[in-house]
Amino acid sequence: MIQLENISFDHCIKCTICTVYCPVARVTHLFPGPKQSGPDAERLRKKTPELVDESLKYCTNCKRCEISCPSDVKIADIIQDAKWKYLKKRFRIRDYFLSRTDLLGTVATSTSWFVNFFTRLFLVKFFLDKLLKIPSGRRFPQYERGTFRRWFRKNADDQGSFDEQVVYFHGCFVNYNDHQLGRDLLTVLNTMNIGVLLANEKCCGVPLIANAYLEKARRNGRHNIRSLEQASEHGRIPIVATSTSCTYALKYEYQNLLALDNSRIVNNIEYIMKYLYSQFERGNIPEMKPVGMRVAYHAPCHLERMGGVIYTIEVLKRIPGLDLVLLYSECCGIAGTYGFKSESYEISQKIGQDLFRKIERADPEVVITDCETCKLQIEMNTPYSVLHPVNVLTMAVKEGK
Amino acid sequence: MKYDCLIIGGGLSGLTCGIKCAREGLRCAIISSGMSALHFSSGSIDLLGYHPDGTVVYQPFEHLGHFINEHPEHPYAKCGIDTVRDAFGFVRGELQQEDLDLFCNGEDNHFHITAMGTMKPTYLSQRSVFNESLKGAFKKRARIAVLNFSGFRDFYPDIVVANLRKNSLFSVFEIVSGTIDLPLFRRTNRNPHEFRSIDIARIFDSEKYLPRIAVEIEKLSGDALFVAMPAFIGITNYNRIHRRLEELTGTLIYEIPTLPPSILGMRIDNALKSRFAALGGVFINGDKIIGGEILNNRIEQLHTTNYYDTGFTADYYVLSTGSFFSGGLLSEYNQIREPIFNLQVYSERDREQWRSSNFISGESHPFLEFGVNTDDRLRPATLQGEMIENLFCTGALLSHYNPVKEGSGGGVALSTGYYAARQIIERKAGQ
Repeated sequence: MIQLENISFDHCIKCTICTVYCPVARVTHLFPGPKQSGPDAERLRKKTPELVDESLKYCTNCKRCEISCPSDVKIADIIQDAKWKYLKKRFRIRDYFLSRTDLLGTVATSTSWFVNFFTRLFLVKFFLDKLLKIPSGRRFPQYERGTFRRWFRKNADDQGSFDEQVVYFHGCFVNYNDHQLGRDLLTVLNTMNIGVLLANEKCCGVPLIANAYLEKARRNGRHNIRSLEQASEHGRIPIVATSTSCTYALKYEYQNLLALDNSRIVNNIEYIMKYLYSQFERGNIPEMKPVGMRVAYHAPCHLERMGGVIYTIEVLKRIPGLDLVLLYSECCGIAGTYGFKSESYEISQKIGQDLFRKIERADPEVVITDCETCKLQIEMNTPYSVLHPVNVLTMAVKEGK
Repeated sequence: MKYDCLIIGGGLSGLTCGIKCAREGLRCAIISSGMSALHFSSGSIDLLGYHPDGTVVYQPFEHLGHFINEHPEHPYAKCGIDTVRDAFGFVRGELQQEDLDLFCNGEDNHFHITAMGTMKPTYLSQRSVFNESLKGAFKKRARIAVLNFSGFRDFYPDIVVANLRKNSLFSVFEIVSGTIDLPLFRRTNRNPHEFRSIDIARIFDSEKYLPRIAVEIEKLSGDALFVAMPAFIGITNYNRIHRRLEELTGTLIYEIPTLPPSILGMRIDNALKSRFAALGGVFINGDKIIGGEILNNRIEQLHTTNYYDTGFTADYYVLSTGSFFSGGLLSEYNQIREPIFNLQVYSERDREQWRSSNFISGESHPFLEFGVNTDDRLRPATLQGEMIENLFCTGALLSHYNPVKEGSGGGVALSTGYYAARQIIERKAGQ
């Protein structure tokens, strides 16, 4: 397939609306904003690559610029592409490991008690900060013992017996850090008489893209497209993911940024809440008991970009007894690996202040969000525990049993 | 997803329609892609500014009856004077509830200053742009000051001053210009002139800088009767900031609409969206309608870029996707097209007739009057000539009006949005 270059920068009329809605430009002058870093500078870079500006690295790829653009310019894609094409590539141990979530996960889950203990030590944090430039203020995600896949192999051999099936792209976070979410998904779907299958998957590539390992991201992408196509029996079985950023990558980044042909899976992949919404609409609603809880909902950037926030909200509204407060929030600031780097940590924290204040004001029992790194950021900066909508749905379903 | 009313396009027209419907208890959603033309607007709402010969209309409502007789196909003619009047009152009232007060000069138009220093007639303006005290100011001999903020590159006070001096209305005034310079806000040496309106609006939003800004303003303006500045006095906290600045400086302070991003327009955008959400409306931002199914003269469901399969469905649909700039109309090599439903469009066949030979001309450009044809109830037809019964078209998408030449853009947007809402509410009640 012939891939045309992203020439949407030519549609930019220089209105600067994107810069108004950029969470990074709002808090720091180090980043000149998406318009200047994206379409403006792209014209110059195309002619004279030496004109590339280091400030590109401050873009978090949250995509809010693309949501606001009246002229449909793929601003964030242009910036990510330029990061990879033009920025001097320096090998950094930190970036290498931060972007290999699957490698890190495989090691950490086999020695989870040690890793979890170790990464909490002050001295370790101090040295990570000094040597690797991983900010000591950042709390690390905790690792599970073993992987979700292993749990799944042992405990879920009955999935073929349900009327329908879905292929579940669990992503690295569920596999290494949050088995509960994967198990909860099984509970919910099984209650709805839907079985869960796994495909052979590699990291979707989001952290690789963010750290400019585009070749590696492309290799992972090719692998995932192939194996998801196979597991979904060429489009017969729907594919779902519980991570919004994974979904975004599989559906859009593969095509727009990595120039991969994902046409055979793209219309078959859904973020889980959208899938559940469609099931509910069809009348396949599990029996739910009231959960009696006040929750505040934060919509993550990549879900906003996919226009999918409404489905999460609609499903949450159907959970009886759920007192739902919508936060009308913007970016939480962590932006995946962005918040794990000393040079951008402070910016990341500043971006999140508005959200943290809104949460405090709403004063819920728990916060709900669809994204795993938003969860890390909110749990680190507020006293509230953060749940995925599927976790909450499970509470209602379990009560119903 | 099923709604009573589904609106495509979240600009002034779509939001007016949505707020009215939501207020009447209808389940209502707006799907919007990209920020609306409010971000490019003056933030004042025009009703009717100019006669066909280019002279100013001073009493727009009084003139409207005559205007409608002369222009039977104009959107105002379809709405009728009463609906137009109600629509203005409605939007003004809703914005008031969000603490955004629009000044109305009784039945008369008033003028706001443009970034070029010219004067434009308009009907509603934010109080920081025009109000009663400014009306009285023109009787005295005094000094006025036009100030910029150092580093803001979208405003040139000297041009404004030069043009104002040419205006006989300002002949009684001594007009000076100046630039507020606060070293605190100078950016790094790398980007010395990087301030856009929004950056400065955020500086003003924080009250901690106000006393120092006030001192600078006093220094530059001396005993000026009033000070005009580009519209960047706050984006969320603007009422309080404006009041405090007037208290601290002891002068009247006015805002001049700037180049985009328009802070004045964004205040209206924020207020309308917040109103819509408060009334239970659903605003979907990251998706785009790319088509729909029409069956037996009715739209059955819509398809979006991200969710092709699960169509959005509703009893009534409103198309307020704007004009060429917002993508509501497409200009192709030999035709003008409405891209979502391929509706019947009014335009000239011959491409040569689309524009005037001069880019800037008193005659304006014919393409500005191109748009979707509708019946008296704002319902459009397909290319095959079939009326679509449950679709209303509103705002800049419509044909047979020229927002620039008439000075009627804002008024048509909210009047037609309101008119569509009213019809939907009536029909829902009749069901």
